[in-house]
Amino acid sequence: MPLTVSICHGVGEEEAEAEIKEAEEAFNRAYVAVVEAERAGANISILVGKMNMAGEFLAEAKNAFRVGNFSEAFGEAENCLAMLDGIAEDALKLKGLAMAESHKAFWQSLAFSCLGSFAFLAGLFYFWSRFKSAYTKKLLKMKPEVASDAEY
Amino acid sequence: MLNIEDYRLIFASVGLIGVLLFASPTLGFLLHLPGGERFSELWILGPSHMAEGYPSNVKAGESYLIYVGVGNHLGSTAYYAIYVKFRNQTEPLPNATAETPSPLPPLYEYRVVIHDGGVWEAPLTFSILKASIVGGQCFVDALNINNVTFNVNKPASWDANSTGYYYQLFIELWIYNIERRSLEFHNRFVSLWLNVTC
Repeated sequence: MPLTVSICHGVGEEEAEAEIKEAEEAFNRAYVAVVEAERAGANISILVGKMNMAGEFLAEAKNAFRVGNFSEAFGEAENCLAMLDGIAEDALKLKGLAMAESHKAFWQSLAFSCLGSFAFLAGLFYFWSRFKSAYTKKLLKMKPEVASDAEY
Repeated sequence: MLNIEDYRLIFASVGLIGVLLFASPTLGFLLHLPGGERFSELWILGPSHMAEGYPSNVKAGESYLIYVGVGNHLGSTAYYAIYVKFRNQTEPLPNATAETPSPLPPLYEYRVVIHDGGVWEAPLTFSILKASIVGGQCFVDALNINNVTFNVNKPASWDANSTGYYYQLFIELWIYNIERRSLEFHNRFVSLWLNVTC
């Protein structure tokens, strides 16, 4: 029976490829979550910083894979996955908070617009009534003048 | 003198303007006006971080430094892949008209996420490790980019017009399309002609 002793964990091409694929898919998912959080109005600068670190690991994994360094490729893909851990969840939380803030701000501004417009129109209408009555009084006080522009 | 109908019109106009002013915070939530022109930038700079001093006559075994940069002006955070490729004069470049990338495989790549209005820049050091001239042809066997060695095995014929063996190091910009959920060529590339000497 041949005796084989594994001294170090050698990573095969398929294993490295699968890990890179997983890292790439996780990166894409995290990016989509981050962009959705940004669209909801969240501040995503910390998440972008983490994604860039994960992106560096992912690129290094792919570069190592291209030159046949599968152990390094696998390790870098693992680092990428570790860095991405929790980013999608954090982005989702930020999105929820941003949407709640946005809804609150929307209702506040709608209330301001409605109340402000109503108060303004009411004030304007009151002023218009006063103005109209003053204008009518002024007209009634005016003495009629006979125009004498007819030519004889 | 203005009559009462003229004054009525003035009051109605003032009322309309006032209502629009009060409604503007809410309208800001509902109306999204188109922004300015949206685009991405891709550039390479020389070793002094300026648009000068680009390496052109490249000697095998010597190391050269350039900087690669990307700017995002797309209105939202973008995810880019930057592919470094190497070709001889007979191999295809990206087709800007058809908006297709070069079919050559990338040697080296960067992955970066840039927020709107942000820029990213990274050094790119390269050296031609093994090159030989045999029978009027230059052969580049290996290229080192940022301390990763790639076997390229590329021949180049003598260019009588430019008097040299010319290769091109070019960089393509790809972007992640969130609707299609895939990286796509962004129709931007920059290149550097290299006259290789042994």
